[in-house]
Amino acid sequence: MNIVLRLAWRNLWRHSKRTWLTIGAMVFSNTLLVFMISIQFGMYGLMIDNTLQVFSGHMQIQAPGYKDDQKMRQVVPHVVQLASNLRKELQTDTIAARGWAFALASSEERSYGIGVFGVEPVFEPRVSNIPGLIKEGRYLRDPDATEIVIGAVLARNLRVATGDELTLLGSGRDGSFSAAVVHVVGVFESGVVDIDRNFGEMPLETFQDVFYMDGAGHQVVVSAATLDEAELLQPKVVAALPGGTDLVVHDWDALQPGLRQAIQADMSSAFFMYGILVILVAFSVLNTQLMSVLERTHEFGIVMSLGLKAGRLGRLIMLETALMGIIGMIIGSITGAIFTSWFTVNGLSIPGMEEMAANFNLPARIYPEVTPWTAVAGPLVVFLFTLLASAYPALRLHRLHPVEAMRAN
Amino acid sequence: MAAVRCVDLCKTYRQGDQDIKALDHVSIEIAEGGFVCLSAPSGGGKTTLLNAIGGLDIPDSGEVWIAGRRIDQMSKGELADLRLSSIGFVFQAYNLIPVLTAQENIEFVMQIQGVPAAERRTKSLAILEEVGLAGLEGRRPAEMSGGQQQRVAVARAIVSRPALVLADEPTANLDSRTSDELMTLFTELNEHHNTTFVIATHDQRVMGYAKRLIRMLDGRIVDDIDQHAA
Amino acid sequence: MRTTPVLTRLAWRYLWRNHRRTIIMLSAIVIGVWAMIFMTALTRGMVDQMIKDGISVLPGHVQAHNPLFLDDPSVSNRISIGDAELSRMFDPLSFKAWASRVKVPAVITSERESRGVTLLGIDPAAERAFSFVTYDDVEGRFLESAEDNAVVIGRKLANTLDTRIGKRVVLMSQDPDNEIADRGFRVAGLFEASMPAFEEMYVFVGKKTAQKMLRIGDATTEIVFVGDDYRDVEPTYDRVRETLDGDLKVSRWYEIDTYLGTMLKVMDGFVLIWVIVIFLALSFGLVNTLVMAVFERIREIGLMLALGMKPASILGQIIIESMMLLAVGLAIGDLLAWATIQPLKEGIDISAVAEGMEMMGASSVLYPKLYLYDMLLANVVVLILGFLASLSPAWRASRYEPVEAITKVG
Repeated sequence: MNIVLRLAWRNLWRHSKRTWLTIGAMVFSNTLLVFMISIQFGMYGLMIDNTLQVFSGHMQIQAPGYKDDQKMRQVVPHVVQLASNLRKELQTDTIAARGWAFALASSEERSYGIGVFGVEPVFEPRVSNIPGLIKEGRYLRDPDATEIVIGAVLARNLRVATGDELTLLGSGRDGSFSAAVVHVVGVFESGVVDIDRNFGEMPLETFQDVFYMDGAGHQVVVSAATLDEAELLQPKVVAALPGGTDLVVHDWDALQPGLRQAIQADMSSAFFMYGILVILVAFSVLNTQLMSVLERTHEFGIVMSLGLKAGRLGRLIMLETALMGIIGMIIGSITGAIFTSWFTVNGLSIPGMEEMAANFNLPARIYPEVTPWTAVAGPLVVFLFTLLASAYPALRLHRLHPVEAMRAN
Repeated sequence: MAAVRCVDLCKTYRQGDQDIKALDHVSIEIAEGGFVCLSAPSGGGKTTLLNAIGGLDIPDSGEVWIAGRRIDQMSKGELADLRLSSIGFVFQAYNLIPVLTAQENIEFVMQIQGVPAAERRTKSLAILEEVGLAGLEGRRPAEMSGGQQQRVAVARAIVSRPALVLADEPTANLDSRTSDELMTLFTELNEHHNTTFVIATHDQRVMGYAKRLIRMLDGRIVDDIDQHAA
Repeated sequence: MRTTPVLTRLAWRYLWRNHRRTIIMLSAIVIGVWAMIFMTALTRGMVDQMIKDGISVLPGHVQAHNPLFLDDPSVSNRISIGDAELSRMFDPLSFKAWASRVKVPAVITSERESRGVTLLGIDPAAERAFSFVTYDDVEGRFLESAEDNAVVIGRKLANTLDTRIGKRVVLMSQDPDNEIADRGFRVAGLFEASMPAFEEMYVFVGKKTAQKMLRIGDATTEIVFVGDDYRDVEPTYDRVRETLDGDLKVSRWYEIDTYLGTMLKVMDGFVLIWVIVIFLALSFGLVNTLVMAVFERIREIGLMLALGMKPASILGQIIIESMMLLAVGLAIGDLLAWATIQPLKEGIDISAVAEGMEMMGASSVLYPKLYLYDMLLANVVVLILGFLASLSPAWRASRYEPVEAITKVG
C-alpha cells in the first residue's frame, strides 16, 4: 500500500469512535436513500404502467381537438381499417380502434348518464386491462352483437346483472337522436371508482350503427410493453399515418397529464427531503474533519517545517475523507439494499394507505426493487458532498504557519 | 490526632507485562500543621501516595486515615465530599478550568459547597489578594503566566481553609524565582493558618522549605528526616 | 440543585470554547429544524387545502342521508322530512351552518352534446356558508333563490357542451316512479372551481325547482352540517344523530370521502416520521460533537472530580451543554422557518403541476400552514431524543477516575 494512503488510513483510526460516528451518519442516510429511491421509482413505474394499462394505452391517434373537447363529430374516419393497417405495418397487435359516446343508460328501475365505448372485442384485451377484470359474466365476443359490459358500481346503481337489458339513449355523430337496447353480458371491477361507476364497453360495429358513426371512431389506442418501447414506437406510428390526414398522435403524457405532474410534484418534495439528508451528512463530515485538522495543528507544524506543502496536507485530508466516504458508501449501499430487499420479498404496506394507493392505481402492498442504479445513486451523491465538505478544513491548512502551529499543543 | 495516617499501604500497577510496586508496605503519620515533602525519582511512588491520601486512588491494601476518619473504604460520593470540605489540591499542570476566570476558578469549589454568592465574592477577592493576584480576578487561565496560574490554583486549594493541602510537583513548570515565591506562600499559609502541607516533588529547592522530608524509592520509604531539628 | 448555576455557566462557556465546531453543529441543527418545520408546513397546507376543497364539495363536516342513498343515489331513497320540520329540529342547535339539498345524478344536454353530471338543487341563502363556489366570482350570476328557474354550470362543462350564458340546456333525471323527469333551463352563470374536475361534475339549480322537476314535493336527498372544526366533528355528529333519532344514516366527512380521511391520518404519521428521520441524521453529529467535547477536556473533568465535584454533576454538565446547543439550534431554526413561511402565506403557485396535484386531490396553489402544534412537536421530539442521545457520552464522562483522567496525556 502506498505510504500516503497508509498514513491517511491510520489517521482515520486515531479517533475510531469519531470516525465510526461519522460513517454512521453516512450509513444512516445512505440506507434511507437507497430504500426511499427504490420505493419511489418503483412506485412511479407502477403508477404509469397501471394507469396506462387500465385503459388509455401508451398513445392514441385522435382527431385534432378531440382530447380536450371530446365532441362526437371530432372523428377518426375508417377507424377499423386504420387500426388494422397499423397492426400490419408496425407488426404488433397491441393496437385497437375505439369510439366513444355519452348516453343515458336506463334499466327497468334506474337511469344514469354513462360513457359508452365501442371497442374491437379481439384487440381490446391487448391494450386494456378491463377485459381481464370481468368478475361476473364474460367479455364481449362478436363484433356486431348488441351487448355491453359495465362497471360494478354502475351495475349496482342501475340494479342490473348479467342477462338484463339496458336502453341507451344518446345523440349520434350528426347530432340526431339515437337509441338501442343492449344486453349486459359482463360486469367488470377495476377498483377505480370513476371507471367502475360511469363506463361501459360495447362492440365497435354495433356502436357505429347505434351512433351513426359511418365507419368512423374516435381513437386508435397503441400500447407497448414498456415506456421505453413506447417512445421508440411513437415516431413509427406518426410515420405510418396515411398521408393527407390531420390526425394527431398523443403520447401518454398528453393523455394523462396529471400522471407526470403528480410524479413531478412528488419528486420535488422527495428531492427536498433527500437534499436535507445529504446536507446534514455533509455538516457531520465537515465537523469531524475540521476537528481532525485542528487537533493535529502541532503535528502539521512539524511536517510543514520539514518541507511538506500545505497543498499536500490538504490532499491528505481529502484522502482521509474519501476513505471514510467510501466505507460509508459501501456499507450504506449494502445495508440499504438488504433493508430494501427484505421488503422486496415481504412487501411493504402502510396501514390505512390502501385508499391513497388506489387513487394512484397502486396496489395496497408495494414490493420495492433494488436496482444497481437505486442502490448507488443516493450514496454517490452523499459521497460527493462529503468530499466537498472536507474542502474547507483542507483549505484552512494554507493559513497554517509552521512555527506557530508547532507551538500549539 | 494526626492529620494523616497511613498504615501498611500497598499498591501494584501493571505496566506492559511488568508489575510495578508503587507502594510497598508504606506507613507514615503526619501531624497537624506539618509541612512535609515527599521526594522520589520518577516512578518512586510519591504521586501514588499523595493520591491515596487525597482519596483519589484506592490502595490495594492498608488503611488511610484523614483527621481521624478512615477513607480507603468510603464511597465515591463520600470521598468527593471529603475532598470538598477538608482537602485542597494543587497539581503540576492543568490546574485550572480554562473556561472560567481566576475568580470563578476560586469560587468553583465554594459554589459546589453551596456558599452564598456574596460570601464567595468576598472570600475569593480576599484570597486573590493574599496570594498576590489582586486585580487579575477577571483573567482567564490562558491570559496568565504559569506562576500566576499556580497561585490561582493555590488560592483555590486554600480558600475554604482546608486542614490539609496536597500538592503534586507544584513547581514543575515554574522558573526558580516563581518557585521560590510559591514556596514562600506555602510557608506563610502553613504558619498563619496551621494548614498541613504534603508536597510531592523532586525539586531540591522545594525540599529546602520543608520541615520534614520523606524520601521514597521503588515504593518504599527510605529516609524520614525532621529538618526542623536539623 | 445548588450546583445547577455553576454547571450551566460551565456548559455555556465550554460550548463556545471551540466555537467553530459549535457553529458547524449549530448550522446543521438549524437546517434540520428548519427543514422539519418548513416541510411540515407545506404538507399541512396541502392537506388542509385538500380537505377544505373536499369538504366544501361534499360539503360539510357531517351529512345525513336516507340509509339506502349512498349505495343507490336515486330520489327513491330520499329524505321525506320537510323543510319546516328540519328547521324546527336543527335551527335551535346553532350549527355554524346546515342545509338540505337535492343531490342526484343527472344528464345535461345542450343542442350539441350530452354529459353526465351531479345535479345540486340548493337554497343559495343556506348554502352560501360552505359552498365551493364563491357566488360573487360567478360569471353572469349565481342562483338567487330556491325558486330560481335557471341553472349555473362550470366553465369547463359549458365549453364541452358548446353552450354559454343565455342558452338553454335540458337536465334529465328520474322521478320516484323511475320515470324520466326532465326540464329545460336557461344558463344563468358559469362558475370556476379550484379543482377543474368540479367544473365538469356539478350543476346548480334552485331547490324548489329541482323538487318540482323530480316530483318529490318538499323532500330532499341530503342534509349537510358544518361544525366548528373539521378535525373534531364528533360533537356535531353526536348532536345530529341524537336529533334524528335513527331515522337517517348520519356520516362523518371522512367516512364519505375515505381518501381524504386517510390522507389526513397519513400526513399526521408523516410529520412525526419526518421529524424523527431528520433528528436521527442529526444525532450522529450531535453525539460526535459531545464525544469530542468530552475527549478534549478529560483532564479538566478529572480536575473537577478531584476537587470534589460529584460524577452526577459532570453528567449534568454535559447534558446541559447538549441541551443548550439544541435549544439555540431550535430557537434559530424555528425563527428561520417562521421567517420563510410567513412571506409564502399568500400561497405558492404550483400550477406547473396543477393536474398532478388534482390527481392527488389538491389545488394548484399551495398555502403553507404553520401550526403551533407541529412546531411544538418538532421541538419536543428534538429535545427528548437529544437528551437520550447525550446520555451515553455524558455517562462516560462521569465515569472517569479522577487520577486516570488528570494524568491522561492528550
